[in-house]
Amino acid sequence: MESQAMIKDKPTFQGLTNNVSLYISKSHASSRINKTGSWRFARPVYENKTAPCSASCPAGNYIPKVVMHLSKENIHGAFRALIQENPFPATCGRVCFHTCESACNRGSQDQAVAFRCLERYIGDMAITENFPLDAKSLAAGNAGNIKVAILGAGPAGLSAAFFLTRLGFSCEIFESTDKAGGVMQWGIPSHRLPKSVLDHEIQRIVNMGIKIHYNHSLDAEFMTTAHHSFGAMFISPGLSVPLTMGIEGESHIHQGLQLLMDIQTKDMPLKQGRVAVIGGGNTAIDVARSLKRLGADPVIVYRRRKQDMPAFAQEIVDTEKEGIEIIELKSPVAVQKIDKGFILNLVSMAPVTEKGNDGRTRVMPVDNTPETMIFSEIYSGIGATLHDSWKADADAPESAIKLDHVDFHLKDIPFLYGGDCVNDVQSVTHAIASGKEAAIALSAYVDSGIDSVKKTVDICRLGAGKALSMEIYLQGERRLNSDHVVTDTEINLDYFTSTPRIEPGHIPLKTSVTSFKEVEKTFTREAAMAEALRCYQCGFCNECENCRIFCPEISITRQNGKKMIDLDYCKGCGVCSVECPRNAITMEEEK
Amino acid sequence: MIEIRFHGRGGQGTVLASISLAKAFFDSGYQVQTFPLFGVERRGAPVEAFLRISKSDILVRSNVYTPDHLVVMDSKLLTAIDVTRGLKKNAMILINGSEPPDDMTPFKDFKVAMVDAAAVALENGLGSRTRPIINTAMLGAFSRVMAMPDMKYIEKAILKEVPVKQDQNVAAAKQAYGAVKIMDNK
Amino acid sequence: MKHVIEGSHAISEAVKLARVDVVSGYPITPQTHIIEAISEYCANGEMKAKFIPVESEHSAMAAVVGAASTGVRTFTATSSHGLALMHEMLHWAAGARLPIVLGEVNRALGPGWNIWMDQSDSLAQRDTGWIQLYCENGQEAMDTTLFAFRLAELVNLPVMVVIDAFFVSHTFEPVAIPEQEHVDDFLPPYEPRIALDPDNPFALFQMAPPNVYMEMRQSIHRAMEHTLDIYHEVENEFDAVFHRRYGMIEEINCENADIILVTTGSATSTARQVQMDMEKQGERFGILKIKTFRPFPGKAICNALQKAKKVAVLDRNFSFGSGGIFAQEVKGALQVLSQGPVVFNYIAGLGGRDITPDIISEVYLKTRDRDLPPCGSEWLGTSPRDEN
Repeated sequence: MESQAMIKDKPTFQGLTNNVSLYISKSHASSRINKTGSWRFARPVYENKTAPCSASCPAGNYIPKVVMHLSKENIHGAFRALIQENPFPATCGRVCFHTCESACNRGSQDQAVAFRCLERYIGDMAITENFPLDAKSLAAGNAGNIKVAILGAGPAGLSAAFFLTRLGFSCEIFESTDKAGGVMQWGIPSHRLPKSVLDHEIQRIVNMGIKIHYNHSLDAEFMTTAHHSFGAMFISPGLSVPLTMGIEGESHIHQGLQLLMDIQTKDMPLKQGRVAVIGGGNTAIDVARSLKRLGADPVIVYRRRKQDMPAFAQEIVDTEKEGIEIIELKSPVAVQKIDKGFILNLVSMAPVTEKGNDGRTRVMPVDNTPETMIFSEIYSGIGATLHDSWKADADAPESAIKLDHVDFHLKDIPFLYGGDCVNDVQSVTHAIASGKEAAIALSAYVDSGIDSVKKTVDICRLGAGKALSMEIYLQGERRLNSDHVVTDTEINLDYFTSTPRIEPGHIPLKTSVTSFKEVEKTFTREAAMAEALRCYQCGFCNECENCRIFCPEISITRQNGKKMIDLDYCKGCGVCSVECPRNAITMEEEK
Repeated sequence: MIEIRFHGRGGQGTVLASISLAKAFFDSGYQVQTFPLFGVERRGAPVEAFLRISKSDILVRSNVYTPDHLVVMDSKLLTAIDVTRGLKKNAMILINGSEPPDDMTPFKDFKVAMVDAAAVALENGLGSRTRPIINTAMLGAFSRVMAMPDMKYIEKAILKEVPVKQDQNVAAAKQAYGAVKIMDNK
Repeated sequence: MKHVIEGSHAISEAVKLARVDVVSGYPITPQTHIIEAISEYCANGEMKAKFIPVESEHSAMAAVVGAASTGVRTFTATSSHGLALMHEMLHWAAGARLPIVLGEVNRALGPGWNIWMDQSDSLAQRDTGWIQLYCENGQEAMDTTLFAFRLAELVNLPVMVVIDAFFVSHTFEPVAIPEQEHVDDFLPPYEPRIALDPDNPFALFQMAPPNVYMEMRQSIHRAMEHTLDIYHEVENEFDAVFHRRYGMIEEINCENADIILVTTGSATSTARQVQMDMEKQGERFGILKIKTFRPFPGKAICNALQKAKKVAVLDRNFSFGSGGIFAQEVKGALQVLSQGPVVFNYIAGLGGRDITPDIISEVYLKTRDRDLPPCGSEWLGTSPRDEN
């Protein structure tokens, strides 16, 4: 089939070479010759900011960082970040009233992140798997082994010891009872805080090399001669003396705090019948719930309204779930003993418009005719005050420096008062805040004198609030964070679909009200990870890489694990900042 | 040039039969060309395939309209479609079936050969009663009634084309070779 | 040695013998058998190629574009809607000057849905910069595929090897399958002039602004012209090894023919038979087979047709609003003649309609019996079915 049209030519077997015209776009040059970054009038800056949870946490927990580690299943990392600021994660994870959750930005999208339960999960993992304290990152100071006497092994004293030891002080604790833990030990019932958990966390602190003298009350002579043996004092005696009501027949009323302590130390007989618990604070709640577990039918009697109760809101909810009645707006006026118990005389109260000096709702009697109720026993849970022996001593003189959680008196040696006797809110977390603030204040004083104390404390504030950070004091990376507290409008919600809050749940009511078994369960690993993923990690770069992925100029690179912005090409478009889900990139105007 | 038209049903191996036959003819010295008439296929629907054989090059590449012979893979197709359209006089119609058609008048101008290829296939273990595999039996019958190609080429083609049960397929072809009958349709 | 195989598998065998490195493909009737066989070769080790299964024809072409950019030999195949979907990437392959070989089985485009023979799909890709080679039978499909790799790699242009649906693709006939060593003699390993290399990074196919784009287009045109120049030399190489050649065009008894039929694809084969049959009846016409549609061998066609009085172009395709596409091209080629032949254009065989010997005869007789063609193209074998 040879074509006749074909031009006859001799074969050129070696002749055919690929020398046809071939002009295509191919170049070793690059558009990078144009350094388009000169167009920029604003530049992105990686700047971690303050999360509202952290700013509101008295202990200054670095919550976004903790959750970041947890969400990446790095529980060791999460624990390290927690213990940096808080020596009691497993305890706080149970008893803290979690201001972090009230402040949580996620609350405006669906529900706050259950950080308290996450904290407990991490704290429990550290206990069950015996995570070591990372001595290197924790112990960072050397205060010349100045000896500090700490009065009271409650949460404030133990925290002070924990932080001071890390800063190089040498601590001895003097405790009047035979056990450490203070109110955590004898004031909080086991159904909220199992003592094995508390003891483990205390032992972890003691193992740092802290000596505790038990059954050792400090007398006036000790205080006046302390400067011979110690370089400083931290005094956290706690509120050990129950308040009285000053009503007729008050001697018939049992002290709720004593009951709580007895439960911890003795075999208690079972109770029965209707028992009144007077008060609206956490003590009243704990007393009522403990009585329920002893077999009684407790009733809480409170002079204000339920919403005015100083007890933590969740505690009130849990109490009512257990079938404990709360009688509001009734104030006791007298107690009479009868054959089968006691008559409690109560007058009805009503709120009045103007508030009291403390900002709380005031109530006034509406009818002076008392009504009567009969109870088999009556307990008081209205709170406690400082023992008289400390009162004169703790009253701050003019010269004292009043910090948020500590009063700093400079006598022969510095005397620092902390814990419940100073704090306006009596909580474990506030006591931790006292211990941390005392450590920072004392360390600042030793390093730079009395004038530096306030300044140093100010530097350590989170979001310019009351919460302090030990990491900042220790010159950790957290010191670089901006004080700006991230708001919910600064979160890019495109990256967060609405998902309901996960909670670990409670053991069955039948079991819980008949024993002192811990009521609240803990997260499974999967649930903890899932709940951690709900956290926005406000203002905290968690290396999500969005900025790098979205940068239209490919100006963001990762070198040696750190992200770099190539300002030769960054046009300052701000896409990285907008696409950062959590406001960890700030656009700064070029000067 | 001889043109053969195959009538079968989709899934019956009609195309494979025509290809095997083409290969047998090619081996025996013919030029061959075979292709299916493609429709939108459905198992059981009538299908056609064409086979051209020639001692010289085959140039025509259109469908077969005036076949010299027919292979009908299923006697029930005789009443369903007009199998004899365009068929040349004295053509051979090879039919798979157990009984000749009741009415032989449409075939009076042609020769009709019958083979019960389904029975042969089953006896040799090819397929099932509901779906006997008949194409190799049909090849054997074809070789007999057309006197071409020689059975040895049929056998060779089967061994080359059929991947399984080769011995049974060869046996079926040979059995059909002996069993096919030319009908008296006058 | 000759084997009775179908046209699709003639291409598959050639791809195997060409030692292709990367194959991608997506099934579509009537192309599927080509890719199916190749994927089996890749799976069972007969071919060492990387087979990239994809989710569409666009991706199939994109995959071989990517592979070819690294300087390896590539192949894919498609039909009809698949080729239409590839359209964008066809431009890319040619603009990037990649020597990709594409097996294209001519099939109609729907609706009405139609899986049968029609040249509209490949001719619609006329301006993409691809070389298009049309084949008449299984042997030519085999040979043209081998030839296509050599040609593509010499001129840095992609080549489409086109066969008719069913009339070639599914037709079993004797085809000589060459020995591997002979193929290796003809087709040396591909030595790319440009290949992406991680060790020597550079940018390819980036922005081409107005000051260079036109030159790039002109470069493609030059490569097409170069193809016309070296085509016969490549055929010489092929002929030396395989002893077969086809030509960009083939003149079949055209000397002193007053009437010449212009045909493509498998219709040429049928026309050869009709030519012989009619000659016995005293009727004489020549046949001009066009194998190479792009580059269009206009000069050669003009030479072949210039002495005829009448030319009848049989188009198995149609450009709506104009006419048969080969007829347009032939007319264009003849424009250089001051006294050229009259060109008749017949449309037949669309959507699998058979081009029978009778149709070919009709083309001849209608051309013989008239001095001038009717206005426009003449559709053969259609019946009036305007109303639904």
